[in-house]
Amino acid sequence: MDAALVTTGLGKRYGAVTALDGLSLRVESGEVFGFLGPNGAGKTTTIRLLLGLLRPSAGTAEVLGQPAGAAGTATRSDLGYLPGELALWPGFSGWHTLRFLERLTERPAVDRHQLLDQLNLSDADLQRPVRTYSDGMKQKLGIVQALQCRPRLAFLDEPTKGLDPLVQQSFYTILTGARAHGTTVFFSSHILSEVERVCDRVAILRGGRLVAAGTMDSVLGARRRHVRATFTAPIDVSALASFGEILSHAAASVEMLVPRGDVAALVRQLSALPLNDLTVEPTSLEDAFLEHYR
Amino acid sequence: MNVAGIITLLRHAWARHRIPLIPIALAVGLFEFLLTRLAPLPDEVNWLANLMAVIPQDLRALAGNDVAVTAGGFLALGYGHPFFMVLMSVWIIRTSTAAVAGEVGLGTMDLLASRPVPRWHFVAAGMKTIALGLALIVASAWTGTAIGLHLRPLDVPASDYLPLAAGAWLMFAAWGSVALLISATRRDGGQAIGWSTALLAASFVLEYLGRLWPAISALRPVSLFRYYEVQSILASGLPRTSILVFGVTIIGGVLLSILAIQRRDL
Repeated sequence: MDAALVTTGLGKRYGAVTALDGLSLRVESGEVFGFLGPNGAGKTTTIRLLLGLLRPSAGTAEVLGQPAGAAGTATRSDLGYLPGELALWPGFSGWHTLRFLERLTERPAVDRHQLLDQLNLSDADLQRPVRTYSDGMKQKLGIVQALQCRPRLAFLDEPTKGLDPLVQQSFYTILTGARAHGTTVFFSSHILSEVERVCDRVAILRGGRLVAAGTMDSVLGARRRHVRATFTAPIDVSALASFGEILSHAAASVEMLVPRGDVAALVRQLSALPLNDLTVEPTSLEDAFLEHYR
Repeated sequence: MNVAGIITLLRHAWARHRIPLIPIALAVGLFEFLLTRLAPLPDEVNWLANLMAVIPQDLRALAGNDVAVTAGGFLALGYGHPFFMVLMSVWIIRTSTAAVAGEVGLGTMDLLASRPVPRWHFVAAGMKTIALGLALIVASAWTGTAIGLHLRPLDVPASDYLPLAAGAWLMFAAWGSVALLISATRRDGGQAIGWSTALLAASFVLEYLGRLWPAISALRPVSLFRYYEVQSILASGLPRTSILVFGVTIIGGVLLSILAIQRRDL
């Protein structure tokens, strides 16, 4: 499979502050790649480096086979971008904004009308100046401008910010359609449920450093299991401590996080105790995410 | 060179700036026209001479020490009058600021620079916007003079004011390139406006004080206003030195702006 983007040791410093440190990443063509991290983790910095808006302090990045930055200017006609902090020209109408950005992209806006329909943006809405738009409408316009020219690679930074749940559903449908057209989507978010829903692979950033990357299955597989056990009589919890992290316990119950490989041994140990009930669940993506931040 | 990209950016600038440009051009044209109504007829110049004689030296320096006490000299004042200067300055500061720092500060530069647009296009489009707008404003100024002289003949040919219009265009284009350089290095439109305005004002004051006080007159060549003396341009045309200084400033300002925008984070 071809890589849509590759970074090697990519870094960005602002004086003494390191915004991104040695990021090495590969995103394959056609996949929806989730980029997770809390505010300030370096997600937006990464996207801006890949688009050539920022100059890297270290490392290299290739986007669609061309170096990111000035050398890859021509490649940017194949890119779509929705900024995390979307700003539009307040005096321009929605139509003017979309047509102007289409001309700059130098590709026809083949998907514009379908996107407008899916996001329920009417002609009357688009005739109005952007200054009269709600935040949600601006975000819809931002999504349309990013995807209207059917880019080969779309960078969507917090795309569902400000969208109501119904429009979020439409957006997920749009992503499915974009993927069907072969668009690679680099999707930054801190809404984990949507990443889990739409992404093929994810990477997690913390403090400017990559802490995990892989397919959803591998990230899910790497997660610890959430074990809850209740007993018919009080037990000595310390006998279970070697199997994982004890989250809480009472005289006749315990709640633990256990590495997947140790679950079988734990179950054997529990069977020797006066076990009343046992549940073993994969942790949610939220839990996995938080584990990286403990 | 992708001309289409620059044209698209020029249309973008036109959409952003056309509303103030037209009133500025009309105001300048009307101002120059009104001066032709106020200018003394050849047999009325004595009152102007008497007026100039009683004006303090400081104020005469502001108008130009070499003010010709003629209808022609009176009209030339319109091309160096603070009203004219301020409106020209408003145009160049507004457009140069919007070209880079304004878009960065507004956040819209992300949408522009993520497109297949080389960074130098922002500078090129900005300079063209400045130059075309200035051309319209000075054309309007000269048209005001020409219409006024047609309706009220003062024995002064309107063509005498073409070098003044050209000089004003050149000087403010030079200031525009300086303001564009400031814009290319700032992250916020307010900062760019502040620095550009301060530099313009300081340069004007330096030239003014340099005329009054011999102690600092040696600093006058530092000011671009030094090379735009309306009465001497009216008398003997636009000096080559002025053309050279303004030309070098325009080219230097544009080249440095391109260098600055290539090396910065947007």
